[in-house]
Formats: sequence, structure tokens, C-alpha cells
Amino acid sequence: MINSILVSELGLQYPIFQGGMAWVSEANLAAAVSNAGGLGIISAMNLNAEYLRGQIRKCRTLTDKPFGVNIMLMSPFVKEVAQVCAEEAPAVVTTGAGLPNLYMKDWLSAGIRVIPVVPSTAMAKLVERAGAFAVIAEGGESGGHVGDLSTMTLVPQVADTVDIPVIAAGGIADGRGAAAAMMLGAVGVQCGTAFLCAAECAVHDNYKQKVLNAKDIDTVVTGKRLGHAVRSIRNPFTKKYVKQEYDPTCSAKELEALGVGALRKAAVEGDLENGCFLAGQACAMVHAIRPAKEIIETMFTETERLLKGAPAWVR
Amino acid sequence: MNTYETIAKLLAEQKDMDANDIRPDMTFSDLELDSLDVAELVMNLEDELGVPVEIDESLRTIADLVQKVDAGKA
Repeated sequence: MINSILVSELGLQYPIFQGGMAWVSEANLAAAVSNAGGLGIISAMNLNAEYLRGQIRKCRTLTDKPFGVNIMLMSPFVKEVAQVCAEEAPAVVTTGAGLPNLYMKDWLSAGIRVIPVVPSTAMAKLVERAGAFAVIAEGGESGGHVGDLSTMTLVPQVADTVDIPVIAAGGIADGRGAAAAMMLGAVGVQCGTAFLCAAECAVHDNYKQKVLNAKDIDTVVTGKRLGHAVRSIRNPFTKKYVKQEYDPTCSAKELEALGVGALRKAAVEGDLENGCFLAGQACAMVHAIRPAKEIIETMFTETERLLKGAPAWVR
Repeated sequence: MNTYETIAKLLAEQKDMDANDIRPDMTFSDLELDSLDVAELVMNLEDELGVPVEIDESLRTIADLVQKVDAGKA
């Protein structure tokens, strides 16, 4: 067993969070991950309070283990979904795409452990001061919204900056990544791409096949021009987007419009032409559709073996 | 150097821009600052002035930030 504060304080069996991915991380997947000993996370994505409340309650019927909710702070429904979290009090709330400080008091009063995703040391420091239990330092290898720093450089710098636990994310899909994350100063990991091909993940089969067929250089970052870069698997959509992004006659508004609904087309409809298949660089390390339990157990069997073998590196 | 001048100086260094192009009424959005940039600016300000600055939704413009910092100093 891995000796981690995530195990002792959050009641997990393994120090692993399943990332909150829009159109992917719904109650079934979150419950499967939590039942397997990790922390499953429901994504509130861009939907309203009713959707999130339904998902939280559904998850409670599927597991008696702790689970979390991910709030995307740029959501048009952020205020109402933040309120749902305060009322339903999941064990953990993770946040992305901004500073959650406005909502933290309510969440903390409800006894929720708030764990924001941070792409820089400054953000980490600000959320620590606001009462975060831990931070998720997510490097640019990850899928979806990405920052500039890599996991290798971000995790140790955040660990040096804050006194709260650091969870590493971005590019981690096996026991080697998890063991390395701990060497970098993390107490655990968050994985998104690794769970895209979980048997319990309801994402369209075409999405899973895109991940399974992906090679190491098959992801691309788009949207930097708009200030919110995202990593996804190359396809006709990304080709078209990149062309428009570098076309000076294409306005920011037109570019923005091009991306609207593209993730839903990928995740729900499996539209290989017009969908945006968000995934991290670790997609080429995902080789099979497996139950969440198997994904987690395989990962941590390897992590334990590697960490136990660490003395072999020292004479 | 007053608070506004300090902010303009730090922002100019951070975003590689001319401090004279920054005005108090400018929003963070006018200056193309995302939450990451604002967090960076606030931490730099704290280091420079030794005053803790809490960020919340009311912070929209450079003038708002000046007011927040000055309130913290008082």
C-alpha cells in the first residue's frame, strides 16, 4: 500500500484521482473509480445545477465510497453548480480554469476538501491561502485545457511553494508515471486519459478507438490564440482549426464559434470529422479497454514495485 | 512610487509591455490578462510591497487592484 495523505485523510485505497472531464466523467465512471479505491470525480462541465445534482445523487446510489465533483470555473452555470456542491457536500471539489476563491468559504463550511487544479506556483499559493486541502499541479502533457509548464517542472516547483499536499497530473498513465510523480514531491496522481478507455466510461466507442489508435505524436494543442489552449488528438477538426487559428483573416469570434460543441460531437456522437477528441500525450500509453479497477490496480502494483526498488539506484 | 505606478511597472515587466500604455480604468480583459496572469501579478505585488492581496470577483480593473492594495496597507 502506498503511504500517502490521500489514503489516510481521504479514505482512498490508492492515491489516484480520476480527472473531471466534460462529457466523459459522469456518475458511472466516478463510482467505478471510487469503488476501485481511487477518487472518482463527476464533471459539472458547462451544464446546470439540475444535471449536477442528478449526477451526485446517482453516484451515491452506485458507491458508498468518497467521490468528488469538478467545477469548471468558466462555466456559465458556475454559481449554481457551486451552490449545489455546498448543499450536496461531496467529499472533494476540484476546480479548473481559474481561481475558486469566491466559492471556497461555502465549500469549506460544508466540510468539503477543496483541491484546485493549478498551472503555476502563484495560483497554488493563492488557493493554499484560501484554504485548499491540496492542489493538483497539472502539466501541459495533459488533455483538455493546458498550461505551458510540463509536469516534470511544475510539480517540484509547486511542492516547493506550498505546504499543502500536491497531486501530480499530466502525462501519467502507468505505474512509472505515478512513481516518478512521488519522486517529484507529489502525494498522488490525477489521471484523465488513462480512464477514457475504462470499461465503465460512457464516452462514444469512436472516442475510445481514437485513444487506442493514437501514437506518441498524435496530439496537438490548439486555441492558444484565444488564451485557452487545449490538447486533443489530431483529426480533420484539429486540422481545420489550426488552419483557421493561423489565418489572420479569421476573427477570434469565428475561431471561438468553430470550437463550440466540438467536444460533445466527439464524446457523445463519436463524430470523427467534426469532433474534438480531447486527450493527453499519454494516450499512446493506453492499449486496451479495461475496468477502472484493473487500470488502478495494475498502475499501483507497478508503482509499489518501482518505489520498493528505488534503493537499487544507490550504491 | 505610488501603488498604481508599482502595479504598472510590474505588469509591464510581466507582460513585456509599455507601462505608459496601462491606464487605471483598464480591465484585466482589456489587458488580455487571464486568471494565471492576475495570480502572477498579485504574487509579484505582494513580494514588492509586503502586503497580502486577496483576489475576488470584484477585481476587474487596475483601479480596483490599486484600491485593494491600498486598503490592505491601511
